[in-house]
Amino acid sequence: MLSAVTRSVCPVCLKVLPAKRAEEGGNVYLEKTCPDHGAFRTLIWEGAPDYWRWGERHTPTRFRTKDNVRRGCPYDCGLCGAHRQRTCCVLLEVTGRCNLRCPVCFADAGGEKTDPDIETISGWYDMLCREAPNANIQLSGGEPTVRDDLPEIIRLGREKGFKYFQLNTNGLRLADDVGYARTLKDAGLNCVFLQFDGVSDEVYISLRGRALFTEKKRAIENCRAAGLGVVLVPVVAEGINLEQVGAIVDFAIERLPFVKGVHFQPLTYFGRCEAEGGRVTLPRLIRELERRTGGRLKASDFAGGTAENAHCSFSANFLLEADGSITALRESACGCGAPSEMTDHSGTSFGMRGNLCASGDLNNAVDHARNTVARRWGGELPTEEPPPEDMQSLDGMLYQLRRGRFSVSAMAFQDCHTLDLERLEDCYIHIVSPDGRLVPFCAYNLTSEDGTPLYRDR
Amino acid sequence: MNEEKSWRCAKCGTELVPTNVIFRYMGRSFSHEVPACPDCGRVLITKELAQGKMAEVEALMEDK
Repeated sequence: MLSAVTRSVCPVCLKVLPAKRAEEGGNVYLEKTCPDHGAFRTLIWEGAPDYWRWGERHTPTRFRTKDNVRRGCPYDCGLCGAHRQRTCCVLLEVTGRCNLRCPVCFADAGGEKTDPDIETISGWYDMLCREAPNANIQLSGGEPTVRDDLPEIIRLGREKGFKYFQLNTNGLRLADDVGYARTLKDAGLNCVFLQFDGVSDEVYISLRGRALFTEKKRAIENCRAAGLGVVLVPVVAEGINLEQVGAIVDFAIERLPFVKGVHFQPLTYFGRCEAEGGRVTLPRLIRELERRTGGRLKASDFAGGTAENAHCSFSANFLLEADGSITALRESACGCGAPSEMTDHSGTSFGMRGNLCASGDLNNAVDHARNTVARRWGGELPTEEPPPEDMQSLDGMLYQLRRGRFSVSAMAFQDCHTLDLERLEDCYIHIVSPDGRLVPFCAYNLTSEDGTPLYRDR
Repeated sequence: MNEEKSWRCAKCGTELVPTNVIFRYMGRSFSHEVPACPDCGRVLITKELAQGKMAEVEALMEDK
């Protein structure tokens, strides 16, 4: 059973504080008191599914430890020996520049920042070959497509042995440059992780500072023409686009199979956050997905992650059937589809959920997670061919699975108010810092209330 | 199919014949023609089928 006691930081000075997960009326709040800056209380979980039963904390993955724990989490990132999970996906911030000036931006991108040169990026890849071999690579920024040598960066990573590349992008260049998607695919890009916050311009004006829906649709069409798969990535905020989550799922379904799924990211208050939207917790989002899809997706279809901390994510896989109905493909999926070892209350491993039973490997939950992501989001698109005559046959089922399968998932990042250091220690999404260290995403982007960063730009 | 025709049922000794078989998997059913014993009904899942289309179904339905 998850303890009510954990650790967090003061939102003002970022000093580590004891914290309590306090339940009240079905909601869970993170409570902490700083001797210098007072008491803080933040909603972290709203209602069902039950917070305490949502997921057990995974057993630590045994990876190479380092004798570098000095001040403790979150101050020793790089990764420190106390970290409990290896790297699944690593973000390479190839630029700090951006062609938008979004009111919300975890990277606080824009301005006249200097890009890391290709030799620096090559050094990052070499570090990853040692520290996180086979990691999935997310090219991020800033807006990575402002770099003209982005295809070269992808090719270099391929030469170094990395197999999965996804591009975190606003899609503007993909929309404006018809041949660009093909250029990136030919360089080795597997998937476009497209910021896609809604199906109306008002949403983009609120979150991105300008109308963008037409550009988003054009970017997706250009990716389709190039045979490049797309995952829609909406930032979700109360009062801005929460009511559109069903419409976003429908938009994705209408564009299967080249749109592979939707990955929601509830708005987080770090970096630059000038929008007026309110917090959306994972259980609230799950319930809204059921409500806003008219029950086509069900809250009970979703489960928390197992390779990462369960309270960081949820996901489920679905199949659009030939008759237009939707079937959940698993009763229990995890954040990246990864199973993991299970433990009883004494901490003893007794088996594992789902797929890894076949391999018998207790330590490769992250390996499985990254392979699952690569296949789910980066797999080759099916060829255009007529359906088999008998859709009840094996060939018919494969035809439908290849074209109708999609995922709906979410990841809740943490800010100075919501930060739970137990979750941070379990993090498997890491950013390469400019000096070549691996830093968990929510530590790297952590800023105090006044925007002072713990790691970024320091 | 030449290779499949050479198979005989270990239990009955009868030569297997191509048979349309209904499979059930994770609550779904589908048909496929596989070599089967006409006497006892046992079927042969070839390595090609197991590692090919069936493995793909597993991967797509279960994230295997």
